[in-house]
Amino acid sequence: MMPAAGRVEAWRDDWWRRRRTRELALIACFLLPSATVFFLYRVLPLGWNVLLSLQYWSPLKPARWAGLDHYEEMLLHDDVFWQALQNTLIFIGVSPLAILLALGIALLVNSDLKGAAIYRSIIFLSYPLMTVAVGIIWRWMYDERGGIINFLLRESGVATKPIPFLQSFEWALPSVIVAEIWQVLGFYMIIILTGLQSIPPHLYEAAAIDGAPRWARFWRITLPMLKPSLFLCAVVGILNSLTSFDLVYIMTNGGPGHATELLITLIYKSGFGQTKFDYAAALTVVQFSLLLALTYLANRAFGGNAGALQR
Amino acid sequence: MPAHCSGSGMRSRSTYLRHAALTLISGVMLVPFYWVIKTAVTDENIYAYPPRLLPENPHLFNFVDVWYLIPFPRYLLNSLIVSALVVACNVVFNAMAGYALTKRFPGRQAILLVFLSCMLIPFQATIIPAYLITAKLGLLNSYLGLALPLLSTIVSIFVFKAAFEAIPPSLVDAARIDGLSEGRIIFRVLMPLSRAALATNVVLSFIWSWNAFLWPLIITREPSMQTLPLGLARFLSYLEDTTGALYAFAVMVLAPSIFVFLMAQKEFIRGLTSGATKG
Amino acid sequence: MISRRTLVKSSAGTVAAAALGMPAIAQAPKKISFLTWNIIDQEPMIRGWIARFAKDRPGVEVEWLDKKGPEIPVFYQTQLAAGTPPDVINTQGALGLEYAAQGALLDLTPRLKDEADVRARFNADYLSNWAYEGSNYMLPFYITKTLLFYNKPMFQKAGLAGPPQSFDEILASAQKLTASDASGFLTLNFDWLYWPLYAMNEVELLSKDLTKATFNSPKAVEVTERLAKATEAGAINKIAWTGRWVEPNGAFAAGNVGMLHAHSPAYFFVKGQGKWVTPETLGVAHAPGGFATPNSHGLGISKASKSPDLAWDFLKFVTNEGAQELGVNRKLVTGNVGVDTRNLAELEKNDPLVHAILKTQLEHTDKMVGNWRLGNDSRIKEAFWPELQNVLLGRKDAKTALADAERKVNRELKRG
Repeated sequence: MMPAAGRVEAWRDDWWRRRRTRELALIACFLLPSATVFFLYRVLPLGWNVLLSLQYWSPLKPARWAGLDHYEEMLLHDDVFWQALQNTLIFIGVSPLAILLALGIALLVNSDLKGAAIYRSIIFLSYPLMTVAVGIIWRWMYDERGGIINFLLRESGVATKPIPFLQSFEWALPSVIVAEIWQVLGFYMIIILTGLQSIPPHLYEAAAIDGAPRWARFWRITLPMLKPSLFLCAVVGILNSLTSFDLVYIMTNGGPGHATELLITLIYKSGFGQTKFDYAAALTVVQFSLLLALTYLANRAFGGNAGALQR
Repeated sequence: MPAHCSGSGMRSRSTYLRHAALTLISGVMLVPFYWVIKTAVTDENIYAYPPRLLPENPHLFNFVDVWYLIPFPRYLLNSLIVSALVVACNVVFNAMAGYALTKRFPGRQAILLVFLSCMLIPFQATIIPAYLITAKLGLLNSYLGLALPLLSTIVSIFVFKAAFEAIPPSLVDAARIDGLSEGRIIFRVLMPLSRAALATNVVLSFIWSWNAFLWPLIITREPSMQTLPLGLARFLSYLEDTTGALYAFAVMVLAPSIFVFLMAQKEFIRGLTSGATKG
Repeated sequence: MISRRTLVKSSAGTVAAAALGMPAIAQAPKKISFLTWNIIDQEPMIRGWIARFAKDRPGVEVEWLDKKGPEIPVFYQTQLAAGTPPDVINTQGALGLEYAAQGALLDLTPRLKDEADVRARFNADYLSNWAYEGSNYMLPFYITKTLLFYNKPMFQKAGLAGPPQSFDEILASAQKLTASDASGFLTLNFDWLYWPLYAMNEVELLSKDLTKATFNSPKAVEVTERLAKATEAGAINKIAWTGRWVEPNGAFAAGNVGMLHAHSPAYFFVKGQGKWVTPETLGVAHAPGGFATPNSHGLGISKASKSPDLAWDFLKFVTNEGAQELGVNRKLVTGNVGVDTRNLAELEKNDPLVHAILKTQLEHTDKMVGNWRLGNDSRIKEAFWPELQNVLLGRKDAKTALADAERKVNRELKRG
């Protein structure tokens, strides 16, 4: 017969263990619906791509084993791939600037400024516009003949000849990036605004009482508490080249030459343009690995756990 | 006190500067829009030189054309049903997943990375397998099939996660002691305190489902199941003229998303504003 | 007009069927699907076709799908992968050949052999555009090829008598037409539409058996260098090499480009945007040597079709009964000889300018170039065009670029 105290402890340990199991089961249940959607529409397709990248396949012919042939082709013989990779990295590299701009705007707008709601709405307006429409309108804006940008540049005397923005090798990629930033700014803003809402006001009040100056309040309170939101923005920034597919497709279709070719447009063209689905799959795997590495690094940079503050 | 006097003087100057900065930014954001709307209400050739700054003979016939040239009410209904489905499921699933990710459990970092990596797989690379899977599920050409890939999104999950983590754990513990089940905790305790995150979820999932083009293109066979953006394709006429009707349609597709955003706006007002900005 | 005999026969049949207790139309409705490429503006016409086709064939349904050009490959390939491709499909340019090479299309040769009268309906040169490895895979839906449009007032002002008759004359005329705000020559560049410029200089892209690249020759280098120099000088508008459809046609429509080398549909776009276009001001001519690149729409049957006979029936219907209406409505040439002759005769009276344009589409059909019967046309294009574009825009010298292109093209050809 166990001593009474031992019996209670055993019962308590048991209770904790059962509770822990229940908790884990609950966590699994809560993750299940989302995880199912992702499994079906992200994980399985990724698996399909990985498998396909190791074969020679087209929709009507039986598959043959290819091993690493596609990767070899891509890395050693395809200079378009390297160009697309470079362009994709440039796209990604520009996003911190856009995020900083959005941070500034969010701070300006998240105040008791009169008309803040109007500014917020105007700045967000571009995001819900279909990317196809954004591409069409910006393609027109950059046009040499009837486009507003060249018109303004000429009227104000800054340029004497129209600048072929989307047709020149130097200007095409920056032009597309500007259009992309124009559209995504509202998105960053809304994420950061959401983050700003969850900062408890009493922290600021306490800091004010302690006499902390404004910039200290920003650096010590606002910025750290915005880490999760900024992390999210960083990840979306890494994805920018993916979501800009429609933009590039409409504005330049990867041209001129391959000056605006991104990995995502290359994937699409290889697959549906040239019916090289196996090669497109290999490109997808390479792009995925690259983005995964960047996301992992971003996660580490923000302190792990998607930027959340450790409690 | 002198500090107050100079404080109010400085406040009005910084307010002026803030207004100036925001006005400049708003102007830049608005210029393309002005052109979309200007072209939508006229018959001008958008590529004519020099570009006219004011609309000539504005009329609303393009909008009327859009309504009549395609089965607009049907497409609108389809889009509404699909978006409603997507928004409802997103809110529920993402809140659940976001909450689960706030807890510590073995393998959390790994699961986090797995979820994040799901974002990194572009839709264009998943078209064929996604179609085959949906066909296997028997959901081709159906509302659920249209909505399924969008029923949960990673960004929104993390928005909830971040919002939930900002809530003091004492509140959650108190609720648990009171005997609330985990589900109730999410929806009775955490959600009311994360109104901004909820608003963001609603806005974003609405926009993403409303604007979806490629997936509905692949998955619908019958014209009666098409969504509004597919109808947009009709206005890229066979000669690729960029006409007013195209822009009218773009404006009409845009309007509901803006409406949803405006409704959700007030959730972003709350706050710590005075504390953050007082001099 | 039903003869008495037919009436008696059919009523007897119905009575017999009823008497025997057989369900009158026992088969499930036979359904075929019809995919068209960007022809939604002709919805009433196509619905009319379907109604007429189905009326004479009880129990038949035709599902009609129309998609824009960029959407068709995605849609079709996905349906192919799922095993449910549309029965009758409409493709543009060399895409039909690519699908044939993939094994997606039904070989029409046996049917055309059995029904020689059907084969005789069509212009043989255009029909052969869709012959891959000796077999026919598609029938013409509507056909186009490149021609030279020119701005007559600009020509008069520059003192040019008429359209250029040789490659040298093209460059010389373009130079004469160039001014600070005007350029001399524009061409479309997608789908090999610019190839006549090389063909008229006797440059061959590939060997006759399509296994080797043969374009890396001193002549080709010279031609490319001359084109690049003319582009730099502004005689050839840069948009020729950087634009796709809207930009080059729009530039010509704006009225300050002397010549446009494009296929016939460009006329309608230019007329829509160019206020200066009238029968007196728009000149129409063949490119020197009569060389032209075709860019036609064909109709084929998917191999996976479950009702190939019905699909073939529909195909014959569309390219015969339907062709007449299509040619009139859209003012184009259908490839059906009888229909085209009739329509052109009408147009000669009603719209002489369009008549002149469409007439060029049926002349010199033996001089069609840029239409190699390649199963991997898009890959060859992708291997060749960016290099050429680099030279034309002054980014690379012709010798290196053509050598690089040769290397890439040979790689693709070897891959097969």
